[in-house]
Amino acid sequence: MKRLLNWFRLRNLESDLDRELKYHIERRVSDLMLSGLPEPGARRQATLELGGITQVQEEVRDIWLTQWLRDFAYDLRFSARAFLRSPSFSATAVLSLALGIGATTAIYSLIDQVVLHALPVHEPERLVLIDWKGDGAGVNAFGSYNLMPYPLCRDLHLQDQFFDGVLCRAVTTINLSTSGDPRLAAAEIVSGTYFSVLGVRPALGRLLTTDDDQTPGATPVVVLSYDFWKAQLAGAPDVVGRKVLINKHPMTVVGVAARGFHGIDVGEVPSLWIPAAMSAQAIPGFNGMLDHRTFWMQVLGRLRPDMTLAQAQAGLQPWFKTMLDEDTRRAGFPAITPERRQRFLASTLELTPAPQGHSTLRRRLSQPLWVLFAATALLLGLACLNVAGLFLARGSAREREVSTRLALGASRGRIGRQFLADSILLALAGGLLGVVLAPLAMKVLIAFLPRDAAANALQSVINTRLLRFAFLASVATGLLTGFAPALQAGRRSLISSLRERGGTARGGLRLRRVIVMAQIAFTLILVVGAALFIRTLTALLTKGPGFDTSSLISFGIDPLRNGYSLSEAGRLVRRIHDEISALTSTQSLAVARNQLLAGGSWNNFMTIQADQGITTERVVHLNAVTPGFFATLGARIVAGRNFVEYDTLPEDRGGQRVAIVNEGFVKRYFEGRNPLGSHICIGTGPDARPDIEVVGVVANINYRGVREEWEQAYFPIGAGGNFYEGGNFYIRVQGPTGAAVQSIRTILRNADPTLPTVYFRTLDEQVSRSLNTERMLAALSGSFGTLALLLSLVGLYGVMSFVVTQRTREIGIRLALGATRLSTVWLVLRDALVMVTVGIAVALPCVWSLGRLIESQLYDIKPTDPASIAMATLILCSATLGAALIPARRASAVKPTEALRFE
Amino acid sequence: MPSSRFPIPQGTLDMLILQILSLEPAHGYGIAQRLQQISRSVVQVNQGSLYPALHRLEQKRWLRSEWRPSETGRDAKFYSLTSSGRKQLKVEKECWARLTGAIQLVFDEDN
Repeated sequence: MKRLLNWFRLRNLESDLDRELKYHIERRVSDLMLSGLPEPGARRQATLELGGITQVQEEVRDIWLTQWLRDFAYDLRFSARAFLRSPSFSATAVLSLALGIGATTAIYSLIDQVVLHALPVHEPERLVLIDWKGDGAGVNAFGSYNLMPYPLCRDLHLQDQFFDGVLCRAVTTINLSTSGDPRLAAAEIVSGTYFSVLGVRPALGRLLTTDDDQTPGATPVVVLSYDFWKAQLAGAPDVVGRKVLINKHPMTVVGVAARGFHGIDVGEVPSLWIPAAMSAQAIPGFNGMLDHRTFWMQVLGRLRPDMTLAQAQAGLQPWFKTMLDEDTRRAGFPAITPERRQRFLASTLELTPAPQGHSTLRRRLSQPLWVLFAATALLLGLACLNVAGLFLARGSAREREVSTRLALGASRGRIGRQFLADSILLALAGGLLGVVLAPLAMKVLIAFLPRDAAANALQSVINTRLLRFAFLASVATGLLTGFAPALQAGRRSLISSLRERGGTARGGLRLRRVIVMAQIAFTLILVVGAALFIRTLTALLTKGPGFDTSSLISFGIDPLRNGYSLSEAGRLVRRIHDEISALTSTQSLAVARNQLLAGGSWNNFMTIQADQGITTERVVHLNAVTPGFFATLGARIVAGRNFVEYDTLPEDRGGQRVAIVNEGFVKRYFEGRNPLGSHICIGTGPDARPDIEVVGVVANINYRGVREEWEQAYFPIGAGGNFYEGGNFYIRVQGPTGAAVQSIRTILRNADPTLPTVYFRTLDEQVSRSLNTERMLAALSGSFGTLALLLSLVGLYGVMSFVVTQRTREIGIRLALGATRLSTVWLVLRDALVMVTVGIAVALPCVWSLGRLIESQLYDIKPTDPASIAMATLILCSATLGAALIPARRASAVKPTEALRFE
Repeated sequence: MPSSRFPIPQGTLDMLILQILSLEPAHGYGIAQRLQQISRSVVQVNQGSLYPALHRLEQKRWLRSEWRPSETGRDAKFYSLTSSGRKQLKVEKECWARLTGAIQLVFDEDN
C-alpha cells in the first residue's frame, strides 16, 4: 500500500528529495567554508559539483517514473490474461462501462459543439458581445436576442482605443436561385467589417470589405460559404463573378469563405453572406438599415490585446452617454414619456465574452444539455459502482490467490496496484467501445433537436477533443472502479485467510453494501428526474396549444422574397385562399400574418383607453388574421363578436378599425370590467392614439409555444389598408389529410411554380416540433432512469445472493431450531431494506437541492413534487425488494440437514 | 595518462556504492566523501550522478533508506544495504573479478 500511495503522493517524494539534496549542499558548503572559502563562493562550488540541483531532480524523477511504468505495463499484461480467462465477467464490466462512457461522450459532443466550442477564427477569446442594457426606445425590432441598430455598430467600430474592430450581423432566410428554381437558404447579413474583424480568409476570390457596405443598395455582392459552394455548385472554380438571384435581385459572387467557417451562430449556418448595405434587398420591405431606432443586429467586437473586458466596458460608457443624448435630438426619435426617457438615458452598454459567437440555439439548449450531461455523469458513476461491486465479488473469489501472493512476499501496495491496473484496463476497453458507440448515440440525440439546426450545424463525428474527453473519462472511471477493490486488497490478516477454506471469505461485504447504497441513491435521483420530465411532457401534450390540432394543416409562403410587390402578393394570397376553400376536402381555412407555435411572435407594447389611458406592462403578442381564423382553429369567442368580412375593408370603404383580445389580456388589464367597446392601439407614448375598438374576446390559445400563456391581440388582415400581411395558411380538412395535401400542393404549383413553400406540415407535427427539447429530456431521462434501476438491481441482487450463500449455515441452524420459513425471508429482506432505506435517505436531500437546477425546464410541476418523488421511491423500493426476494426465497428453501452437513 | 584523475567507468558507480554501504549505513554526502577518500582522489565521481544512482538502487530494492540524525545533529537520509543488495554486491564483485581477469589475460597475450 505504501508504494501505491507513493504514486498518489509524488509530492511527498519530491519534498523528500529536496531535503536530501539540501542536506548535501549544506554539508558541502560548511566543509568548503572550513577550508577557507567565503560562503557565496562555497555555495556556488557545491552546486556546481552536483551539476545543478534541477538536473539531479529531473534525473531522479525519471528513474521513479520508468520503474513505475515498467511495473504498470507488467500489471496490464497480467490483467489482460486474467480477463481473457473470465470472459463473461469482463464482457459485463466492459459493456456497462462502455454504455456509461459512450453516453457521456455523446452528450459531451453536443455540449462541445453547441456550448463550448470557440469559433474557428483568429484569437476567438478576444471577441465580446456588445449589448444594449436598458430601454432602447426602439421603434422597430426583429430578430432574436441582443439586438442593436446598425449605425451604433458603425460608431462602435470607430472606438479603436477599445476595439480592434466591431462587426454586426443578422440572420435571415432568403430566396436564392443559382441557376434553376429558387430555394430558401439561410443567409447572414453582415457589416463590411465582419470578415476582417473575425480574421477569416477567403478560400476563393475575396471577402466582403467596408467598401461593400457604404451606400444602401449600391453593392450587390455576396460571399458564399465553402460548404454551399462545394455541395450546391459542385465547387465550380469559376464561381467568382457569377450572378445569383437573391429574392429575385441579381448579385455577384465575389468569393468563397474559408473552409470550416460557418458563421458565428452554431444553430444557423448561412449559405452566404450579404453586406448590410443590401439589407433592403435581402429582407423585403425593410429599409431601417440606417435608422437609429431599428433594432435588428447582434454586435460583436474584438477587444484590443491590451484591453480587458472590464476596462473596455467602463471606458465606453461616457461615449455612450453622449451618444444617447444625441439620439434624443435626432429626427425620428419617438415621442416618449418622461419616465421612459429617463430609462433610455440610463441605458448602458454591456460586454460579455463571446468566443463562441452568438447563438439562439445555445441559449435554448445549453441548460437542457447540462442537465443531461449531469444525468449521464450520474449514470457513469453508477456503472463504475457496479463494476466496483463486481470487482469486489471477484476479489473475494481471488482471496486465496492474493493471500498466496502476499505470503510469497508481494507487498500490499503491489497487489492493490494490480487491482487498479485491472480496472483501468477494463475502463480503457470500455472507453474504446464507448467511442465506437458514441456516434450512434449522437445521431439519436441530434434527431431530437430541431431539424433545421441539426441538419447542417451539428455533426455526429468523433474528433480529437472528444477522444481526449473519452480517454480522460475512461481513466477516471478506471480509478474510481479500482479504488475500492485496491483498498480492500490484502486487508485481512494473512494467516486467517490462508487457514480458511474457499467460499467462506467475507470479501469486503461492508464495502459492497456501501456501494449498493450509493447506487440506490444515484438511481433515485435519476428516477425522480425522469418522473419530473415525463410528467412535464405529458402535461404539455395533454394541455396542447389550446385548440384542436387534429386534421389541421398549415403551410407558409413568402411571395415578397420572390419579387412580388405588396399588391401582387395580396392578390396571390387571395387567389390561393379562394381556391383552397373551394376544395371539397376543406372544412375551413384562414391566413395569419405570423406563424403559430414556431417560437417567435410579432409583439409590441400597447396603449389601452378604457376609463383612463394605460400602457401595457409588457409587450403584447400580436397577429393579423382573416375572419375565419378562430373558427378554423376552434378557438371560442367568449365575448363580443368574431371578425367579419367587412372588418378587412379599408376605412374609406366602410371598414372599421377593430381588434379581438384574448382572455389573458382581459384578465391582466381589465380586472373584471367589460373590455368590449374600449379602445387600444399598438405602441405607447404621447402620440399613441387608441383608436382601435375591442369588439371581441377569444379564449386563450398558445402563440409562441405550448408552454406560454401571454396577452394577445388580433387584428383583421387588411385593416391597415395593407392587404398583404403574410402567407401562413391554416386549413381544417375533412377526410384523409394526404389527399388534401396533394390538392393543396397542386393549387400552389399552379399559382406560381417558382414559389417555394417555407414549411408544410400538420399542426400535430408543429406541436411536436415545438416540444422537441421537452421530448428529448423526457426520453433520455426516462431511459437513464431505467438503465440506472437495472444496474442497481443487479448490484443489490449480487450482494444479497452473496449474503445468503454466506449465511446458509446460520440459516440452517435457525431453521433446525424452529425458525419459520417466513422469518428467514424477513431476515434477508430486512438486510436489503436497510440498504434501500439508507440509499433513499441519502438521495432525498440531493433531489431537493438538485431540483432547483431543473426548475426552469419543468411545466406545471415543482421539482420537489411529492407525488413524483413518492412514485419514484415506490418504483425503486418495489423493484429492489423484488430483486432481493429471489435470494430471500432461496434462503427460505435451505434444508437444515444439508446446510449443516456442509460443515 | 593525461590527467591524474579519470572519470569513473560506466556501471561501476553502483558497485562502489554497494561496497561502501556494506561497511556501514551512510547518507549521500557521506558516501560522496567516502568515495573520494577510498579512491584517493584518483577516481573522479560526478556528484550529480550519485543521487540518481542511489534512487535507482533503492527502486531495485538493494538499498533501503531512513531519516535519522546525522553526526552534525541534523536529520539526514541514511541508506543501508538490504539482503538482496548484499547478494547483488557479491555477484557484482565476482563479475568484476572475472572481467578484469579476462581483460588482463588479453593484455598479457599482447605482450
